[in-house]
Amino acid sequence: MSKPMIEVAQLHKSFGVHEILKGIDLTVHQGEIVVIIGPSGSGKSTLLRCLNCLELPSSGTVKVEGTSFSDESGRYNEKRVARLRTEIGMVFQGFNLFPMMTAIQNVMAAQIKIRKKSAEEAKKTAEKYLTKVGLAERMNHYPNQLSGGQKQRVAIARALAMEPNIMLFDEATSALDPELVGEVLKVIRELADEGMTMVLVTHEMRFAEEVGDRIIFMDKGVIVEEGKPSDIFNAPKHQRTKLFINQVLHPESEKV
Amino acid sequence: MDILNHLDFATAFRELSPELGQGLLIALEATLGGFLLAVILSVLIAVGRLSNSKIIRGILVVILEIVRGTPLLVQLVYMFYVAPLLISLVVQFMIPGYQFQLNPLLAGILGLGINYGCYLSEVVRASILSIDKGQTEAALALGYTHRQALWSIVIPQATRQAIPVFGNYLIMMIKDTSLLAFITVNELLLRTQAYASQTFLTIESYTILAIAYLILSLPLSQVVRLLEKRLSTHV
Ligand SMILES: Nc1ncnc2c1ncn2[C@@H]1O[C@H](COP(=O)(O)OP(=O)(O)O)[C@@H](O)[C@H]1O
Ligand SMILES: [Mg+2]
Repeated sequence: MSKPMIEVAQLHKSFGVHEILKGIDLTVHQGEIVVIIGPSGSGKSTLLRCLNCLELPSSGTVKVEGTSFSDESGRYNEKRVARLRTEIGMVFQGFNLFPMMTAIQNVMAAQIKIRKKSAEEAKKTAEKYLTKVGLAERMNHYPNQLSGGQKQRVAIARALAMEPNIMLFDEATSALDPELVGEVLKVIRELADEGMTMVLVTHEMRFAEEVGDRIIFMDKGVIVEEGKPSDIFNAPKHQRTKLFINQVLHPESEKV
Repeated sequence: MDILNHLDFATAFRELSPELGQGLLIALEATLGGFLLAVILSVLIAVGRLSNSKIIRGILVVILEIVRGTPLLVQLVYMFYVAPLLISLVVQFMIPGYQFQLNPLLAGILGLGINYGCYLSEVVRASILSIDKGQTEAALALGYTHRQALWSIVIPQATRQAIPVFGNYLIMMIKDTSLLAFITVNELLLRTQAYASQTFLTIESYTILAIAYLILSLPLSQVVRLLEKRLSTHV
């Protein structure tokens, strides 16, 4: 078995009195593509955000390439967390590009500030990744001069330019007009083909089935069922999984 | 009606304008220094008020209440006449006979800077809070610490957003430099007063002074409006 990149053990997360994650165990191996599906509000984003420590676990541990976010005494030291985060790229539903920077400046900023690269080096890397996501022509555009699909591809390039070993995608195409979804999925698919370790949250079931090595179905803060795409989509074991998949694949049909 | 027949704007204008020119330079100096100080203080105060430390937040709130609860003129007088005395008293424990003196213009710059810094800090704070949390999260996800995300991602956006409001405060500050006349800074008002009392051209002098301020601030208001337009492009 290849090396574990993310190890989650007994992860609990509460906001106030509401327990959102109720004991998650999950290991993602090198090169594996894990797709998390589940109804809205089931805790998918919260789980994903715990993977790079944007949310602090209430209890349990998250390890990245064998290193825990919390230190030996169980505290979350900011510098340590920040350093580990550079190993993980994250792409958000809402892009979150920096509006006062052009596309290429967006991709260069963290390389210079965090990776301490020279401006020329950062520019080279930025050009490489913007070209990779098909935006060589748009490098000097500001985010508000780009379409949603283009913005999301800049955001992906920005994450890739840090040369992370893991990529997280939280509904990367949910905010896009339908005709722009394809161009972003294409970029993600290419990353998958190159062997990037990825965890995706998505509502694009066909895409999940196609790129996923493993599908995780979450509901109400727990992993209800996980397995190979063919098993989850064609022969789900649990009633809740069955209902959810039916509903997503055939939204027009009556609720059972 | 006799006065009206004796109005002599020509003489007043000829004799007063060189004076006003000199005074204007000093007023601009005070504004430049005061505003620079105000901008720096405003960002520091705004960041301090968003810090996790209760002590820092508490101290800042007290300072803000004092500054906002007292007139600017009183603060200027305090800065010029009282603060040096207090400093002298303290230092005299170590160096007997020590007398601290504050140049009037410097006292004015400090007074204006602190006063405006406090008001502007509210503007900066509101702008910081208005920046989408996704900005900070994107930076954190790239490996920034909270402090780095604040200073290199959030504050540049917040200050940019605050610039038009800053512009309006800048114009207010130019006009408020007239208060420095009370702490012996030889700016426009003090010079006009001196001239009017020598020549008894009271109506003429103060009318010219008022027009001088108008000529100064009207074009600046236009500039601020233009800035507002330009800056709203990439937000
Ligand atoms: N910062 C937060 N504070 C309070 N409640 C939150 C917060 N973030 C998420 N939640 C709640 O946690 C639940 C799960 O949210 P989320 O993880 O976003 O679900 P999903 O991504 O599966 O739709 C929701 O009920 C949501 O309201
Ligand atoms: Mg979500």
